[in-house]
Order: sequence, then C-alpha cells, then structure tokens
Amino acid sequence: MADRHCKQVFAMLSEYLDGELPVKNCRQLERHLKGCRPCIAYLESLKTTVEACRRYKAPRAPALSKQVKAALLAAVRQVISIYLSE
Amino acid sequence: MNSQVEQALANLKSGNPEDVERALETLQEVVYGFGMKVCGVREDAEDTAQETLIRLARQLKEFPDARALAVWLYKVAKTQCLMSRRKSKFAPAQMLSLDALMPKESAGAAPAVKSWEITPEEIVLNKELRSKLEDAVLALPKPYRLVLILRDMEQLDTREVAEVMGISEETTKMRLHRARVFLRNALAGYVQRAQPPGRKEHG
Repeated sequence: MADRHCKQVFAMLSEYLDGELPVKNCRQLERHLKGCRPCIAYLESLKTTVEACRRYKAPRAPALSKQVKAALLAAVRQVISIYLSE
Repeated sequence: MNSQVEQALANLKSGNPEDVERALETLQEVVYGFGMKVCGVREDAEDTAQETLIRLARQLKEFPDARALAVWLYKVAKTQCLMSRRKSKFAPAQMLSLDALMPKESAGAAPAVKSWEITPEEIVLNKELRSKLEDAVLALPKPYRLVLILRDMEQLDTREVAEVMGISEETTKMRLHRARVFLRNALAGYVQRAQPPGRKEHG
C-alpha cells in the first residue's frame, strides 16, 4: 500500500510545492506524508533544489560595445518619438 | 513576473535618455543571464542578448505591459539561444521518465531516512556546488531545461512559461517536475554525505 501511495505522491510533489495542487490531491498527499518519512525527506530535498535554483545568479553580462549601444539607443529613440507623438 | 523587466519597460517608455540606457542594460543583463543558463557558453549568451535587444528596439511599441514584454523577451531569447547552439553539444532531446527518476531501494530493508544536507546557500556560495548545479542544468534535455530555467530561475509563473514554450500548462508542470527531480538526484549523487531519503521499491 505504501509503495503505491509513494508513487502517486512522488508525481505530485512539485505541484504541491508550487501551491498548484488541487485541494483533494493536497489532502491525499498530506495524509500520506504524515506516515512516510522517506517521502517527507524527498520533498524537503526537492524544496532545497528549487530554492537553490531561485537563488542562483548567472554571471554578469559584459558591457555592450559602444557601437551596439549607440545603434540600440538610436532605434529605441526613434520608436519612442513615434510612440510619444501619438 | 520579472520585476526587472517591469522597471525596464517603464524606463524605456519614459523617453528619458538616461532611463532608456539603464533599461537596455537591465534587459541585456536579464537576457544574457538567461542565455548563460540555457547555453552555458559566454559567446552564445552575448549573441543572444544582442540579437534579442535589436529585435526589441524595433518592436518596442507592441508591448502594452511588462508581462507581454517578458513573455516576448524570453520567447525570442529562447529561439536565439537554440539557434546559436545548433552546431554545438546540446544534451540529447530525450524524454525523462518519472519511473526511472524515482528513488528505489533494495527490497526488505527499511529505508534509512537521512537529511539532505545541501543548503541553497551552499549551492549559491560554494563554487564547486554552483558549478555542479550549472552542469546538472546543462545535462537536462532542452525541453526540460528551458522549463526549469524559466520557472525556477527566471521565476515566471506556470502560465507564462507555457506561453513562452508554446505548450500547455499541464505539459509545463510535467516537464518541470521531471526536471526538478533530475536536478535533485544529480546534486545528491555529487555530495556523498547527502544521501537520498532511501531507495525504496515503488509500485
């Protein structure tokens, strides 16, 4: 019984973490978690993984070259002048 | 939704030259960061950011709000990024099976529950773990990688990710879960002291 339930719960863990799991399934999952320490531990480790992704910052971008920046600014200014004149 | 994008759009539309310049730098930062996470190669991320900003400059008028801009920005950046990587080694486009990703345990023994000792801070601060996280993300097949990056790193909501990817919300959730489990397992394997909660035979 526990194995079948573990499998069902395993498939729902992300939606549960995101608060996107329907109420009925949420209750089912929480009932199971009360008696299944491996599933609780797995949920916690999944939560840590998601949290690590959220905190991860990519390396900073190098400065745009003067040429590219000038071209972009000119293009944006042109669009904005049309936009503001409308 | 990315708050940086919201601020950048307001700055762009202000028409103030300094604000416009700051907005371009912010958006470049956002797209370059996304490109680095998806491609893992600096040159590709730079090309992605440049091409995306050039297209943005031409189409600026078409964005009624920051949400529309964010979805457009990531959609274009995603395409640019995938194009720039065509000749390179993307992870094979294979399907991830949830059954295969589920932890298993040798039959009979009661699962020993141990805490998973990696903390989010360690992954952010520890260079080696950070590199492991980057490698694990790059090892994900691209449909899963893109969903994970957009949802968990760029912090778009499920609906926005589905829009960027051109897939249903259900498919988005399914890919996200498999990607998270893949990543979690990859990191657990790396840190010896952080064992999974027990390999238990399921179903």
